[in-house]
Amino acid sequence: MSILPFFEWMEGLAVTESLRSVPWFGAMINVMHLLSLVVFAGGLLIVDIRLMGGGLTKQPLSQVAREARPWVIGGFIGLFLTGIPQLMLTAIKEYYAPLFWFKMEVMVVALIFTFTVRHWLTMGDEARLGRIWGKVVGLVSIVLWSAVAIPARLIGLVG
Amino acid sequence: MTLREWFEWVENFSTSIALRESTYGYTILLTAHVVSMCLFLGLIIMMDLRLAGFGNLRTPVSEIQKRLFPWQIVGLVITSLSGFLLFYSQPTRYYGKALFWIKLVFMALAGVNALAFHVTTYRSVSRWNTERVTPFGARLAGVLSLVLWAGVVVFGRLTAYNWFTYE
Repeated sequence: MSILPFFEWMEGLAVTESLRSVPWFGAMINVMHLLSLVVFAGGLLIVDIRLMGGGLTKQPLSQVAREARPWVIGGFIGLFLTGIPQLMLTAIKEYYAPLFWFKMEVMVVALIFTFTVRHWLTMGDEARLGRIWGKVVGLVSIVLWSAVAIPARLIGLVG
Repeated sequence: MTLREWFEWVENFSTSIALRESTYGYTILLTAHVVSMCLFLGLIIMMDLRLAGFGNLRTPVSEIQKRLFPWQIVGLVITSLSGFLLFYSQPTRYYGKALFWIKLVFMALAGVNALAFHVTTYRSVSRWNTERVTPFGARLAGVLSLVLWAGVVVFGRLTAYNWFTYE
C-alpha cells in the first residue's frame, strides 16, 4: 500500500497552507533545524571522540556521556519538532526523493544504535570496552549520523 | 579599484569559473561546509556550555579547552576552506548580500570574544578550573560565544535566500 496519499494529505492541510503563506516561516524553521543539528552533533561528537581515544580522555567515559546526554536528547527533540513542519511544507517532493527515504532508514538504525548499544557501552564499565570496541562504536556512530546528515543536506540540492 | 570591481576580477579567474560551472562542485562544498561546521560549532558549544555554567560541569574548564581544541581546529579549517571556495566560486553573488556581510561581522566578533577571554579571564583558570560556577568574565564569554556563533549559523543559512540582496 502506497503512503503517497498520506504525504498529499499532509501537504494539503489547511495548517500547511497557512504556514506556507507566512513569508519567513520556512526559512526560520530551517534555521532552527540547523541550530538543533549543531547542538545534537556537539553532544554526540564529544562522546564519540572520547570513545575513539581522543578529546576528554582524563574524564571517565560514563561521566562524559552522562553530561552530553541532555544536549543529544534536546538537540534531537529540536530536530524532530522543526523537521515535522519542514516535511509538511514539501511532503510530495520528499516522497519522491530517494535521499529522503535513505535518510529516514539510516536514522532509524542510528537512533536504535545510539540508545541501545552505544548507551550501554558508554554507561557501563569502561574497562570492559577494551582497546578496540570503543573505537568501533565511536566510528560507527559518526558514520551512521553522517549518513543521516549528508543526505539531508543533499535533498535540498539534488532531490 | 573598488571592492565590487575586485570581486568581479576574482570571479573571472579560470578556477572560479571552473568551480562555478562544475556539476558537483557546489553540492560537495556545501555539504562539506555543513558537516565540518557540525564538528567545529558542536564542540565550541560544548565548551561554551561549560564556561556559561549550563553543562559539562564536572569536567575541568582547562580540560575542555585543551582537549577539544585540536578537533575544533580540524572542523574550523575544513569549514573555512569550503566556505572560502563557495565564496570564491561566486564572489559578486555574495557581494550584494547584506546577510552574508552580517554573518562575517558575527564571525569576527566571535573571534574577538574568544581572544579577549583568553588574554584576560582564562589566565587565572587554575584558580577556578574545577568550580561549577565560573567567574563572571568566563560566563559572559561563554554566553556571548553561544549567541555570536548562533548568529553566524542564522545569517549563514539565510544567505541562501535572496532577502536584503542589492546590486
